[in-house]
Amino acid sequence: MVEAAMTGAPPELAATPRSRVVSPWNPANAITAARYLTLPPLYWAIAHGHRQWATLFILICGVLDKLDGLAARVFDCKSPFGELFDAITDGICYGFGLVVVCAFGWAPLVPILFVVGLGLANTLMRLAYAKRAGRAINYKSYANERLVAYFGFLIGFATAGYEVTYFYWAFVPVVCAILVHDAKRMLVDPVPAAGGAA
Amino acid sequence: MTILSARGFDWFITAVVGGTAAAWLVYDAINLARARRADRRDPIVRDRHFGYVMGMIIGLIGVIGVLRHHLG
Repeated sequence: MVEAAMTGAPPELAATPRSRVVSPWNPANAITAARYLTLPPLYWAIAHGHRQWATLFILICGVLDKLDGLAARVFDCKSPFGELFDAITDGICYGFGLVVVCAFGWAPLVPILFVVGLGLANTLMRLAYAKRAGRAINYKSYANERLVAYFGFLIGFATAGYEVTYFYWAFVPVVCAILVHDAKRMLVDPVPAAGGAA
Repeated sequence: MTILSARGFDWFITAVVGGTAAAWLVYDAINLARARRADRRDPIVRDRHFGYVMGMIIGLIGVIGVLRHHLG
C-alpha cells in the first residue's frame, strides 16, 4: 500500500505486473517477514499482563510495516508479490493482535465483532469486483490505506489501556463510511481497464 | 516488569498518538487542498479525495482521543 502511494499510480494499478523480474528474496520482503517475529513475544506479554512490553512489540510490528515500503523504494525491489505479502502480513499480524487483546479482555468485543462483520462484507465485495473485472485484481483504496493504519493503532490502544472504549467505538462509523464508499466503487463504478487508466 | 514509569508510559503513548494524529490531519488536509482541482468525475480522483477526508477524520479522532485522555 505504501508502494502504491509512492509511485503515484492509481491504487488498483499498483499491483500491475512489471517487465522487470524482482526476486522474492529481497530486503523489503525480509523486513515484512520479520514482522511475524513480533507475534510470539506479543502473545507472551499480553498473557502475562505486561502492557508496556505488549505495546512495544505491536509498535515494532507497525514500524516494520512502514519500513518495508521504504526498503522497497531504496533497494528498488517493489513487486506484486511483495505488495501481496505485505497485505497478507498486515491481516495476519493485526488480526492476531486483535484476537489476542480481545481474548484477554483488553478490548471491547462488540465493536470488534461489528468490524469483523464489515470486513467479511468487504471481502465478499472484493470477490464480486474480481468477478466483474474478469481477472484477479488487487482492489485497494486510499481510504482503506488509512483504515489499516488505524487498525494497527487499535491494538496499541488496547495493550496500553489508552482510551480503549472511545477509540474502538469511533472506529465503527469510519469503517461503515469506507465500506459504503468502497461498495459503490466495487459494485457500481466502471472497472479500470487492465494495465491502463480507469 | 516495566520499561517506563506509569506516567512516562502514558506521556509516551500521548506523544505517539497525538503526534501521529496531528501530522496525519495536516498531511491529508494539504493533500486534499492540492488535489481539489482534479476532475471529480474520475472515480480514482473521487477515491483519492474521499481517502484524504477519511484520513483527516481519523487524525481528528486521534487528537480528540488524546485530549479526552488528559482533559476528560
